[in-house]
Amino acid sequence: MFESIEHTIARLREQQYLCDRKLATVAFLALQMQKPILIEGPAGVGKTELAKVVSAALGRSLIRLQCYGGLDEAHALYEWEYGKQLLYTQILRDKIGRLFEGVDGLHEAVARLNLHEDVFFSERFLVRRPILQAIDSPEPVVLLIDELDRAEEQFEAFLLEVLSDFQVTVPEIGTVKARTIPYVIITSNNTRDLSDALKRRCLHLFIDYPDEQRELEIVRLKVPELREILATQVVAVIRRLRALDLRKAPSISETLDWARALVLLDADALTPALLEETLHLLVKYDRDTQRVNEQMNWIAEPIQEQSQAPSPAASVGSTLSSPPLPPQRPAEPSDLEQRRQEHTARYFTSYRGRTDGRTGGV
Amino acid sequence: MDAVINRFVFLLKQRGARISPAESLDAMQALARVALHERDTVRAVLRCTLIKNLRDLPLFEELFEQFFTLPQRTTPDGLADGPMPPLPETTLLPPETIAAQEVADGRPDGDNAHEDALDIRDYFDEARMVTRFNSHQDPNDLSLGEFGQNLVLSRRRELLDQTLKNAVQMLKARRLKNAGRAGELNFDEAVAALDVELIADAVTDLLDELSDTGVDEALIARLSGRLHEGIAQLPELLKRYLERELALRQEPTMIASRPIRPKPDFRFSEQERRDMSEIVQRLCRRMRGARSYRRRIGPQGRISVPLTLRRNMKYEGIPFQPMLTRYRDEKPRLVVICDVSLSVRNTARFMLHLVYNLQTLFERVRSFAFVSDLVEISPYFDQLGIDEAIAAVFEGDLLDTEVDSNYGHALARFHNRYLAAVTAQTTVIILGDGRGNRNPPQVWALEAIRRRAKQLLWLSPESRASWRLGSCDMPLYESVCHQTEIVRNLQQLGQVTEKLLHRSVVRP
Repeated sequence: MFESIEHTIARLREQQYLCDRKLATVAFLALQMQKPILIEGPAGVGKTELAKVVSAALGRSLIRLQCYGGLDEAHALYEWEYGKQLLYTQILRDKIGRLFEGVDGLHEAVARLNLHEDVFFSERFLVRRPILQAIDSPEPVVLLIDELDRAEEQFEAFLLEVLSDFQVTVPEIGTVKARTIPYVIITSNNTRDLSDALKRRCLHLFIDYPDEQRELEIVRLKVPELREILATQVVAVIRRLRALDLRKAPSISETLDWARALVLLDADALTPALLEETLHLLVKYDRDTQRVNEQMNWIAEPIQEQSQAPSPAASVGSTLSSPPLPPQRPAEPSDLEQRRQEHTARYFTSYRGRTDGRTGGV
Repeated sequence: MDAVINRFVFLLKQRGARISPAESLDAMQALARVALHERDTVRAVLRCTLIKNLRDLPLFEELFEQFFTLPQRTTPDGLADGPMPPLPETTLLPPETIAAQEVADGRPDGDNAHEDALDIRDYFDEARMVTRFNSHQDPNDLSLGEFGQNLVLSRRRELLDQTLKNAVQMLKARRLKNAGRAGELNFDEAVAALDVELIADAVTDLLDELSDTGVDEALIARLSGRLHEGIAQLPELLKRYLERELALRQEPTMIASRPIRPKPDFRFSEQERRDMSEIVQRLCRRMRGARSYRRRIGPQGRISVPLTLRRNMKYEGIPFQPMLTRYRDEKPRLVVICDVSLSVRNTARFMLHLVYNLQTLFERVRSFAFVSDLVEISPYFDQLGIDEAIAAVFEGDLLDTEVDSNYGHALARFHNRYLAAVTAQTTVIILGDGRGNRNPPQVWALEAIRRRAKQLLWLSPESRASWRLGSCDMPLYESVCHQTEIVRNLQQLGQVTEKLLHRSVVRP
């Protein structure tokens, strides 16, 4: 149980999760008000991690529902177990045969069967999917609905009943009310807007990349074996990378991966060469790599400063305000031309051949 | 506290945020569970319960700063008994929230709606606005000057001078007491603006009396008494003055938040974006929902009896393995051809906005822009933000926008170069007024497009009545299109969308 906001911060910290007051307030309120949290933010800033640490801090089990395109209620809520139903029918054939002893005519037989119909549409034959599991659990759980923006809009509509009333309606059985109220965390990578109806039912939280100080703390906490100088260098370089207009900016998880890699490589200090060698841990797209290489001198500045000025505090101060970047045109003409061809190739391949040689005429 | 939150929500809504009553209720429930004296906590609580869209966040932050900054205020000593009930007579209040203060005061919630409303207005950051509206740098000088002129009529000028100067001095002294601090209610300007009025009134009265009876000591005493009376009413006057200024201030914000006519730089307001994307989303949903006759076997859907029977022959016809099928959704393909010439410049921006939205929502959209020449713009719209993309089209980097529009040429060019983009599943939408400046209309090209496409739709910004005027080829083109609609703004687009949905543009 979270008793206050301070208590929440402390409990999450015990689980090695550093959070600011904003986040702790929401986490605390969600428990108090029994409302779901909707977390939006770029990938890799600890949205999913929050669900994990909350479940650990509260001592509840975590039920996770990963969303994807085409997810429907059969995978999220419940499903009938057809195979089991059929198997039971076969095994119980004798019993069913006995049921019809002394029955005259088909009509009466159907009426008799009707009386026992609900045997095969009972909860016994219901496969519980994550959401039904969560609300039907005797112990309260943490339910994580991950990356909801990947699922279709219709799926959000399924969630509405669960999120506001904590119940699920199964047409054949009726409404299943929650035995215990789960702690619901929904995450979204913000690739599309979620519906207003869903947002209305949730407490909203936006997590962004942390500021320099907090990121440094996180690195220290999670990768304690990393040397202090290296940690400040890592954070400074990451901040510069984020300032570039990259398709996928490095997130906290990538910072930590990089830090761990540097520990494994047994690096003493970051050098431009080392940065170049380990760049693929941070930058995941070819175009991004090119852009980083163009700006390599600027990115490597904190490293050089570091080797000159040994005090880590000085380096933190110097990188707080990022120097302005040389302006870059978002789209070069040649690049556009190339993209145009790619676009055509991607969507209209089958018709491509016909474009040539076609002449206009009446 | 309810009233405070309500007022805050009202102001947020007035500035364009969408907040439902359920959310304000949530906010109040949430506030009941946290410590109200921590400003950051209250801020976090309100933000997570009220603000669900990132784009509303800056607005919230700004308004929160304004709304929940408690002014440090000095009440005119001893005079503030009646007119200003909401504030306690303490001069220094710690910077905490009103909510907290009200709870501390033990004020029953919503006891007097009118009073609460005033109350909140008092917490507004009037200082900045007062300064803005007050053009006089030092109004005390002005009042003295005026006063001096009037005193020429008086024989006992020293005495009069003295009395009125005293009054001004009193105000001045009060003004010095709360020399303004950053971000807090700063009264000096307001007071200064008021004494101009007060003293002017007093002087008028004085002059009347002077002309009637001449000047003596008793009269002067009476006059100075009057002045003090006026000063005693100062808080009330001050309040009225501030309320008026607040009203003045609110009106322009309301207007400013909803630009009525399109701005010249082709940028879009949040409201326009939202409306447009809603309409297009509706269209998109409908088009997505279009079903084809083909069925797909898969883990979901309904039991298909024939397939199930066939599959379960080996189990003596006992349906051991149910076979499920569902209808396959057809993927809509769109080709949008948009006129961006000068004659439709006003609506072209709107049309391009539509194109942009279609392109972000549908997977397979190819868009083209033309004046005389025709270029494909889908890659630009894929890559750039809406404002940049539209600017790129209008700046003439992609095609010459200054020439006369030539529909015939553009259509023929599309036919020759891009006709392959149109297939039996494609809906072609043409946006333009059909004014080809007496160039050959080349209707055959459009006919060829229609033959290939599933649906050919023409959206024109010009009403049917004006088609007869000048060189408009719309009647020719209309006969070829499956459908022609007049669309020049969002509202009409909404109507057309409804109509299209009823008639189901995309039939399987």
